[in-house]
Amino acid sequence: MAKIKIGIPRSLFYYYYKDIWKYFFDEFNIELIISPPTNKTIMENGIKFSIDEMCVSMKNYIGHVYYLLDKCDYILIPRISNYGNDNQTCTNFLATYDIINNIFDTKILNYNINLENNETEEKGLIKIVTDFGYSKEYAKKAYKNAIKKVKQKNDKLIKDNIKKLDSEKTKILLIGHPYNLYDNLIGKEIIKYIELNDTEIIYSDLFHKDITNTLSKKLSYSLYFKYNKENIGSIPLVEDKIDGIIFISTFPCSPDSLVNELMFRKLKKPYLNLIIDDLNSMTGIETRIESFIDIIKGGVINE
Amino acid sequence: MKNCYLGIDIGSISTKGVIIDENNNIIKSEYIWTEANPIKAVKKLIENLKNNLDKNIVIKGIGTTGSARKLIGLLLDANVIKNEITAHAVGTLNFYPECKTILEIGGQDSKIILINNGIITDYAMNTLCAAGTGAFLSSQAKRLKIKIEDFGKLALKSNNPVKIAARCTVFAESDLVHKAQLGYKIEDIVAGLSKSIVLNYLNNVGKGKKIKPPIVFQGGVSKNIGVVKYFKEILKEDIIVDSNSHLMGAIGIAILAKNKNNKIYDLNIKDIKFETKGMECNKCPNNCEILKIYKDEKLIDAFGSKCNREIKN
Repeated sequence: MAKIKIGIPRSLFYYYYKDIWKYFFDEFNIELIISPPTNKTIMENGIKFSIDEMCVSMKNYIGHVYYLLDKCDYILIPRISNYGNDNQTCTNFLATYDIINNIFDTKILNYNINLENNETEEKGLIKIVTDFGYSKEYAKKAYKNAIKKVKQKNDKLIKDNIKKLDSEKTKILLIGHPYNLYDNLIGKEIIKYIELNDTEIIYSDLFHKDITNTLSKKLSYSLYFKYNKENIGSIPLVEDKIDGIIFISTFPCSPDSLVNELMFRKLKKPYLNLIIDDLNSMTGIETRIESFIDIIKGGVINE
Repeated sequence: MKNCYLGIDIGSISTKGVIIDENNNIIKSEYIWTEANPIKAVKKLIENLKNNLDKNIVIKGIGTTGSARKLIGLLLDANVIKNEITAHAVGTLNFYPECKTILEIGGQDSKIILINNGIITDYAMNTLCAAGTGAFLSSQAKRLKIKIEDFGKLALKSNNPVKIAARCTVFAESDLVHKAQLGYKIEDIVAGLSKSIVLNYLNNVGKGKKIKPPIVFQGGVSKNIGVVKYFKEILKEDIIVDSNSHLMGAIGIAILAKNKNNKIYDLNIKDIKFETKGMECNKCPNNCEILKIYKDEKLIDAFGSKCNREIKN
């Protein structure tokens, strides 16, 4: 039997679920085709197929789907509604499946995550492979193994991230969604530039999610966006050990525009807010980052 | 021999240069239009600065700031290339060490810098929109057939400035046309425009910032006495405008260059041929827009590449 090819767009979900997908599907006769790091062509195609009101990250996702159309048998798009009552996700994560289904004529593999309705990732992934003819027992075991491997990998990343807090350099907490921070076109250049200024970057997403999720209550009791809670929960965890905070979001992100604005009023440390849209000039961003770092280093004027 | 330092601030509209000595005194200064050609402007600026310059002066450091700082810094082999926010703050604090707020309106951007005990604590810059900057004022002056130098004086004549939308220049312009067609006096319109610049600035860049005295106002627009008047009126505070307010960025970067001096510059760039060539690299789907810089037909640097691919002639 030829390998089944499942396409995975390198955007949005990818940055949260890439490891579980990889370790899980590796156990079957399935090949994952991952789209390349975002480049201008991918972004331009995304913009072409999306409506104006979508955020840059969503447009980017659509570009990645377009890239995969003729390269795989299926495209994997989960539909994520919530992780419980006070852990909702951005509406894009809920709507992507239907949006893509409407834009492109392609076969989509789908599972739901809706804990309010008792629909879990485990059930979803197992259903996908049993539909391909694998036994339920084998799939269950594969999922269990995959989860174990993911945990090992994450623990290491988190350990490295926490170790950076002991660095002698100026330390900056970078808050943003992983699909923006690690995207080749959206966040990579910015991170490169921040590092160029002799700083240590601590990433908001590389902490234990259950810890940051709970800690976010210190800043606000009523927030219910899962991903934002996990991002800002890193603030009370490390605020005493860092020199400044940089927020990165894409235009127009609705959870970010609410949550980040709320944070600005509660922070003790200096912050910089960068909102990225599909402009392609770095000049303005460089000016802002450089002057922000000058400020938190504090010494420039009296040098 | 006298050790001196050169600071150059290359903005979108004008290019400013100063030479300062060890004690931060201005030896010579120059202010010319950039005219969308920073290389040509800087060559002219340096020739003007060299003209009649004391033979004993040696330039031991060069700093560049402003939107073309990277390009010009490379051409002059500057020892400091810094953003304009830091440069402006350093320059201003040299003259007004007590200063708490710097308002700055330039050709294309405007910023506010808050200072506490001589350290920058906060700043804001206009984002995508160039509403309420010098470029808007000069285009409207042109439409009204007024010299930009006379703009401020004319505004002061008015007792009844017309109301002009302060949010967006597109609406401001249609307001202005409408008021003119209704028959308002030109000085009232000019005064209304000056006031709208101030309101726009305070609503956009200054939003949510605590503006504390002493306040220093600088950038090209600070030369407009009409705008200064409305800042005073609306903020109900005294506004300091230095006679060198347009040079603060250049002075600041010269001071920063002084603290990092290490070599002697000869400033003979008039006959060196600098050329830039834009190109689109089609080697990968990124299609980076690359700017290549040539000195005497030799490639010295290139900007704009997203990868580390070597760029050849």
